Amino acid sequence: MRDTVTQADKLVLEGVTSGYGPIAIIRDLSLTIRKGEIFALMGKNGMGKTTLLKTILGLVAARSGDIRLDGASIVGMSPKSLVTAGVGYAPQEQPLFQDLSIRDNLRLAVQSDRDLDAALDKVFGHFPFLQGRLAQKAGTLSGGEQKMLIMARALMLGPDLLLIDEISEGLQPTVVARIAEALRAERAANGTTILLVEQNLNFALSVADRWAVLKLGEIDDSGTTQSDSRARVLEHLKI
Amino acid sequence: MLTLLLDIITTAAILFIVSAGLLAIFGVLKIVNFAHGAWLTVGAYCAVVTAGLGLNPWLALPLAFVAGAVLGALTERLIVRPLYARPLDAILATWGLSIVIGQLITLWFGRDVQFTVSLLSGTVDIFGTAYSLYRLFALAAALVIGIGVTFVLEGTRLGLSARAIIMNEALARALGLDTARIRLVTFMIGTGLTALAGVLLTPLTSVDPNMGLAWLIGAFMLVMVAGSSFGALAVACLLFGGAQVIVSTFISPILGGITIAVLSALVLRISSKGFSRV
Repeated sequence: MRDTVTQADKLVLEGVTSGYGPIAIIRDLSLTIRKGEIFALMGKNGMGKTTLLKTILGLVAARSGDIRLDGASIVGMSPKSLVTAGVGYAPQEQPLFQDLSIRDNLRLAVQSDRDLDAALDKVFGHFPFLQGRLAQKAGTLSGGEQKMLIMARALMLGPDLLLIDEISEGLQPTVVARIAEALRAERAANGTTILLVEQNLNFALSVADRWAVLKLGEIDDSGTTQSDSRARVLEHLKI
Repeated sequence: MLTLLLDIITTAAILFIVSAGLLAIFGVLKIVNFAHGAWLTVGAYCAVVTAGLGLNPWLALPLAFVAGAVLGALTERLIVRPLYARPLDAILATWGLSIVIGQLITLWFGRDVQFTVSLLSGTVDIFGTAYSLYRLFALAAALVIGIGVTFVLEGTRLGLSARAIIMNEALARALGLDTARIRLVTFMIGTGLTALAGVLLTPLTSVDPNMGLAWLIGAFMLVMVAGSSFGALAVACLLFGGAQVIVSTFISPILGGITIAVLSALVLRISSKGFSRV
């Protein structure tokens, strides 16, 4: 989308190809996300959105191209190293340890138990319902509560870059609004850069500064969230 | 009757001690360590070495744990780590390792039965019945191991991480958990516990290069029934160990020897998860 790397670029992907086995899901993809930006990546099912997030996080190996975080290549780095470097992740697939308590799910997000209380206080500000229910098993929460727990866990360490995979899927509007509010607050407070993979247009365009549509592993269209964005994105998402 | 009850309880305790290390490895790593019997033997020979050097026989316990953990670290790093995605190959590799360990022990110590200094001897009077002090000590040791393992799993960050890996390793990795380090430490704890069990077995069985093999199948079947739960392992040891004692006492010691394997196979035939929901 943009070739020139500047000091303001948080995450830069250049000609990235990745996939599973012999199949390339992401194909020669280039994308730049600026510091403090909320970027919405949209597309139909099976277009490679989740694979792209996993490639950034090192869960799927990049076969070619470069991925740079704050100017330094992160290709080949382990997820642990990236999490330590400030990358947070809210996954879509099997995103919680269902048989662990809310507290233990959140505890796994911090590097040391010494950081736990301060991090808990921080996420209680976004999602107060968690405070009185720390001992409850995550699997017993409602769908919306589970999504808020996923967001809370991703925010625990105050990440510099947050990768979020279809967090609004199947949620009622009030919960989506709560999550949107948390994302805006996190960005305002910490300058967090957010890459939001979404299919919910209203949610994505309400929080994002820019958007792109992914089609068969390539960027098909992109723009800023202006008045014509909705119509353009809708055109791409037509079945 | 009291003797029978104590035999059932202490047999269950001994089975738990013998199987705990195997379960620690299988529960977290999903690898069946078929070198388990060899690690029991390594532990028992630590007792032989301690006795040979004239040291306090209790020193064999920490010596065996450390030796088992260090050898376990080498095994995990060099043999098991490349095979996590190929568990059947891991079974073959660890079985091969057990043969190598057995032969090395034979090379150094010979094939003869070795003798060790008993950790405890004599009997204690329980409601008018004289009972082996060492078997009661084994019961206490099993409780300590069970409580210790439970504390590590439930009360420490390592245990939380291990449980997270058991439940969903992909998510654990995505959250930045160092799954390689947790696997290594878990393997070391498992092999350390197994070698410790080898020392604890020495007053109850003869020590020779193949002594671990006799315990391997029983431990394997109990772990298959227990899944990844130490609570389930304790229940399986109590039920199947109890059945083994009853069959051995009232029917035939030979049939008693196959009781655990037969009952485990039956339970797994009825429910593939065995007792793992305990």
